[in-house]
Amino acid sequence: MDKQQDFVLRTIEERSVKFVRLWFTDVLGTLKNVAVAPAEVEGAFAEGVGFDGSAIEGLTRLYEADMLAHPDPSSFQILPWRGDVDPTARMFCDITTPDGLPAVSDPRHVLKRTLAKASEKGFTFYTHPEIEFYLLNNSDWENGGAQPIDQAGYFDNVPGGVAHDFRRRSVRMLEDIGISVEFSHHEVGPGQNEIDLRYADALTTADNVMTFRTVIKEVAMEHGVYATFMPKPFAEHPGSGMHTHMSLFEGDTNAFYDASGKYQLSKTGRSFIAGLLHYAPEITAVTNQFVNSYKRLWGGGEPPSFATWGHNNRSALVRVPVYKPGKGQSSRVEYRAVDSAANPYLAYALLLAAGMRGIEDEMELPAEAEDNVWELTDMERRALGYRALPPSLADAIELMEQSELVAETLGEKVFDYFLLNKRQEWAAYRQQVTPFELRNNLSSL
Amino acid sequence: MTVPSLTELAKAGFANLSESRALVEELSRDHGVSSDVLFNSIGDTADPDRSVIELERLFRAGSAATFVEPLLTETESFARLLRILGGSSGLASFLQRHPSSAAMLATASEIPSADELRASLLKSVSARSGVAHITGEQARTALRVRYREELLRIASCDLSAEDPVGLVQDISRALAYLADATLEAALAIARADIVDSSISAADVAQVRFAVIGMGKCGALELNYISDVDVIFVAESSDEQALSTERALTIATKLAQHVMRIVFEAGSEPGLWEVDANLRPEGKAGALVRTLESHRAYYERWAKNWEFQALLKARPVAGDAQLGKRYVETLSPYVWKSASRPEFVEQVQAMRERVTAHIPVEDVDYQIKLGPGGLRDVEFTVQLLQLVHGQTDESVRSRGTLESLAALAEKGYVGRPEAISFGQNYRILRTLEHRIQLRDLARTHLMPRQEEAVRAIARGSRLASTATELQDVWQRVKLEVRNLHERLFYRPLLAAVATLPDEAIAITSGQAESRLAAIGFRDPRTALTHIAALTTGLRRRADIQRALLPVLLKWLAEGPNPDSGLLTFRRLSEKLGDSPWFLRMLRDSSGAASRLMTILSGSRYVADLIERIPEAVAWLDDDAELIPRDIASVRSEIDAVVERHSGVDGAEEARKAIHSIRHRENLRVAMGSILGVNSDVLTSSGLSSIMEATLAGALRLALRDEELNPEMAIIAMGRFGGQETGFGSDADVMFVYRDTTEIVDNEATRRAERIVARIKEILEDHRLPFDLDTDLRPEGKNGVVVRSLESYAAYYTRWSLSWEAQALLRARPSIGNESLMEEFTNVIEPVRYPAAITDDDLREIRRIKARVEKERLPQGADPARHLKLGRGSLSDVEWLVQLIQLQYAHAHPELKTTSTQLAMSAAVDASLVSRTDADVLMAAWNLASRIRSACTLWGVSTSDMLPLDRGDLDGVARLLGYPPNSAARLEEDYLSATRRARSTFERLFYGM
Repeated sequence: MDKQQDFVLRTIEERSVKFVRLWFTDVLGTLKNVAVAPAEVEGAFAEGVGFDGSAIEGLTRLYEADMLAHPDPSSFQILPWRGDVDPTARMFCDITTPDGLPAVSDPRHVLKRTLAKASEKGFTFYTHPEIEFYLLNNSDWENGGAQPIDQAGYFDNVPGGVAHDFRRRSVRMLEDIGISVEFSHHEVGPGQNEIDLRYADALTTADNVMTFRTVIKEVAMEHGVYATFMPKPFAEHPGSGMHTHMSLFEGDTNAFYDASGKYQLSKTGRSFIAGLLHYAPEITAVTNQFVNSYKRLWGGGEPPSFATWGHNNRSALVRVPVYKPGKGQSSRVEYRAVDSAANPYLAYALLLAAGMRGIEDEMELPAEAEDNVWELTDMERRALGYRALPPSLADAIELMEQSELVAETLGEKVFDYFLLNKRQEWAAYRQQVTPFELRNNLSSL
Repeated sequence: MTVPSLTELAKAGFANLSESRALVEELSRDHGVSSDVLFNSIGDTADPDRSVIELERLFRAGSAATFVEPLLTETESFARLLRILGGSSGLASFLQRHPSSAAMLATASEIPSADELRASLLKSVSARSGVAHITGEQARTALRVRYREELLRIASCDLSAEDPVGLVQDISRALAYLADATLEAALAIARADIVDSSISAADVAQVRFAVIGMGKCGALELNYISDVDVIFVAESSDEQALSTERALTIATKLAQHVMRIVFEAGSEPGLWEVDANLRPEGKAGALVRTLESHRAYYERWAKNWEFQALLKARPVAGDAQLGKRYVETLSPYVWKSASRPEFVEQVQAMRERVTAHIPVEDVDYQIKLGPGGLRDVEFTVQLLQLVHGQTDESVRSRGTLESLAALAEKGYVGRPEAISFGQNYRILRTLEHRIQLRDLARTHLMPRQEEAVRAIARGSRLASTATELQDVWQRVKLEVRNLHERLFYRPLLAAVATLPDEAIAITSGQAESRLAAIGFRDPRTALTHIAALTTGLRRRADIQRALLPVLLKWLAEGPNPDSGLLTFRRLSEKLGDSPWFLRMLRDSSGAASRLMTILSGSRYVADLIERIPEAVAWLDDDAELIPRDIASVRSEIDAVVERHSGVDGAEEARKAIHSIRHRENLRVAMGSILGVNSDVLTSSGLSSIMEATLAGALRLALRDEELNPEMAIIAMGRFGGQETGFGSDADVMFVYRDTTEIVDNEATRRAERIVARIKEILEDHRLPFDLDTDLRPEGKNGVVVRSLESYAAYYTRWSLSWEAQALLRARPSIGNESLMEEFTNVIEPVRYPAAITDDDLREIRRIKARVEKERLPQGADPARHLKLGRGSLSDVEWLVQLIQLQYAHAHPELKTTSTQLAMSAAVDASLVSRTDADVLMAAWNLASRIRSACTLWGVSTSDMLPLDRGDLDGVARLLGYPPNSAARLEEDYLSATRRARSTFERLFYGM
């Protein structure tokens, strides 16, 4: 750690950094930022930076307002879009109370705590997200909905299009900031893009997801367009998911790999998936946290609505990707429900906790889904034992309320706050009179 | 030659007589080993049976004739061989691999010196000017064989010593020097090994490289088998010729090679692990750094324990001058650490780590980590060193024994204590040496088989049988534990009082830092209390001087030592001259430790005991801590009220009632904190005290006038259910009935006067008696006392208003018997109705929902309110009451005023599932226990889970959590009540 602190202080001098932004995330996954002058950074390492936590969603209650942000030097990066004029850098922070205890409601701490539990069992957790988003002309929607910047489709190359430049520029910028990008292509919807981040340990990935969202929005602004991670901005086009590939390592060995297992999947891997399937309904409120998330989940097509698994079955919730011979280290499973607006810290903590519970309880993996789950009838699905994910935020909240796994993983305070906030969102949504109702009812009733 | 008899074998110390005799015969027959010489030589071998087995193997290994036989002709050299063979199977198998090495045993030798060892090992690899002239596997093997030969020599001195305990320090030192020499020779090999096309010998020569020994090696107190902790430091001797960066690259290679040369598997097995993890940044950090980089690290980032590790740093190999600079540059940082703010927490954490990580089944066998083990000695000495080394350079030494001597020399600890502490340390180290030597294995566990323990006993010369050795060891353990107190705490007294016959000299400033180091928040004030306790009247001061060290330790183990010490001082001032008090403190360590536990753990008890000092005597006898039965308390109060008769006696009687109440509350509180009484016993005890007090007050109030109506007091709420906690209100209702002599208005007025008088009598500023009549009909708006008829009329009219619900816990308990019986008859159909309509049920649910919204105090966090909060007491109680209202008529076993009994009856009647009941009662019990603990700890309001971490921690300790459990208690409470709430909502509201 401390060599990294040296590195940070040195770099600030060498690169004449003018501002250092300290980043952290609130319970809902919104990035928060405290800026400090370079001269204050050393003190921030030693003692943290005080701020009023009561202003931050879910971080504290009023009476414990004073919080400290402790920058994590390993996350230090110069922000490339600031250019060379006033170089600005950022670091992610851990939040503590004034007496030095981790703030129970810091999402980063929730993930760290969950990772530490897995590490006690000898596991390291790696993730690799594929993040989808839409590029729009602007953030206006009042005149006929959002306006995508093009009409292209999956893997289309749009010569000279904004999207093309945009992707090149953002990939470049992400690489500059130390985030490796695996792949980038045009997705199915008009103006929709996908960028895959290279796999890394889950804490780094979660930090990267937060950075990624900022970079994408900044680059879009440079190009005079608008980027959105809203789960489902168009009823008629696919939503934006954040499919996440996951693997567990024991030391240097991929714990999901077993040359003799079906699909080269080890017993650990099978139990991990079983855990994911078992707990999927109750963690959905976190992996898909907005009213809008359920429009994607139940909008038909690719996004999974049932807790099933399959080998290369794109309608399954958990997919075991095609195994490339000789690549035992890359064994992994893909969870397809998470959307691009999830709080990555909390979502990853829960996915890991669910999978670990599967391993601890030696859960048996149910039969594989070989059909397109969407095309089955309700009765067929019942017969096959496929459980549905919650159909709305309200249902998801109800399932989460009963979940010991979620309460234990998030901690009682985050659990409480998250539910409180989501109940409010649902209540506010329910009060709306939508265009759908007006269109269908006004003229006829 | 004659065949030895089994008796002769037994005399010589054999245990497996027949088997060993067969071997002795075989040795004599096949190898010409003279039994006579053998018997003369084997006397002081640790394990004679094993030594003949190993000897026979040695012959079988071949080439023994040349190297071994010369040793067998002479008693002395034969004895040396047998001691090794019987004392260490590890060295025995080394001899079997390399019989020629047995020549080391031909002559008696002294423990080798550091220089001899260095020369010997360097010679084994033909080193000249620090570079070996043999390389690779050949060099490694040569080094390792020589290492083991020297080890053989040291072990031979050790096993031959008359008094191994006296020699243990020299042996440890020699083992450390042997490690130094090994690292030096390994470095010489590495220098030769790494030269290749990219690194020239000249480059290597330009690198100044030093190995710094840490831990036991640094402190010159190494075991036979142990990791050797090191740190590497390097620089270029000439920046012009070789850049620092390049020097570090080469040095890193050197370091890696050194580690492998010593430990990596090979034809001759590796020696021990060279552990470099104490370096800056641990495993993640660079293996080799420059001195400046080390300095910068300690300047800025190091953690406290890293400074403590530096305490032992010693240059052990490589460039001596660089090593010296390293130690000189960094040692000042060690002494800054004790003044850091987190020092106390870290020391406490260190102490917990010591005991926390031992597997339970090993505790009794641990030489090092168990209670009274080596770690206890080292911990005590290091802590004292850190506290006093800040200001006194003369105690800044590395070794445990050395430091102990320095502390005694300067008067920081008593000399006799230091001497016996040191002796115990030596004994433990000797045991450890013998155990490790036996199999050349890195263990700190006493073997479990008796034969093995016997061999340790004989080998250490501490005893001749296994049982005797266990006795010796037990005594040492006990002494080490007691000596900690005397070493650490006793000198504190010297700062404020003259201790007889001792040269302890410690200033008050030094004493304050010692007190702060163990958790006193206001050490200055604490020191004045200590002064007061140890001066003054002779006999008392004498005894307290002797006791205070251990008392301070017990106080410091509790959450609030400062207030505990203050109360103890006051107690002692009141009781100091009572012979029983001093005798009890002196003779009953159980009672004294209990006293410190309650004084440091509960302000409630501290306040009461100060006024009732004689209660200290109960600590010696559990029977005194159990709640007294209600009949005897009531008759005591009755007697007191009778004794103080007449108008003049009323005030006296009132006071007497209160003091009995205080005394009994104190008894129950002490019994509860010390774990003598269960929660159920505590609650019923507290209810009894309330009842007896009220009975006394009623009796006294009735005395005021000639004519009284019949009166009765109905216990309600938790009091009614006999589930009272500390700080619970006394919920009651009053009822009266006309007599032939006093009727109507006159009776009403008289009853009202009686109730007013009862309230007056119960007024108590010291330990408030919260009489609460709000559960009466019409609540706060209703009249305070009603006639039986009025109750009957009210409940008929308003049958099944929610007030009827409160009646479920109504227990007529004090006053006129027949009136109480009549009252029961009146309320029976109200609280256990034959049928209950859906409207009624809905009404109850609606009221509960409204109460949830309205009754919570402004701004209170529902998740933390113990009584009205989410899933806490009132949720559970309302549910139980709803079940009782619905089903008690049909299931008479539900007719109880106790929430707990009603819940188990509901489970038995299958009205609630066992799982649901467990969830609900877990929350109810936890909330009840926390409320009581809040009162005992002394927070002003017991209705909320405390927010202050210190308070939470204190409450957690009273509930039996380990220190620093504030966050754990909070999480436990929040999750218990969350589950209870969800169960409650389902069962109560039917959702």
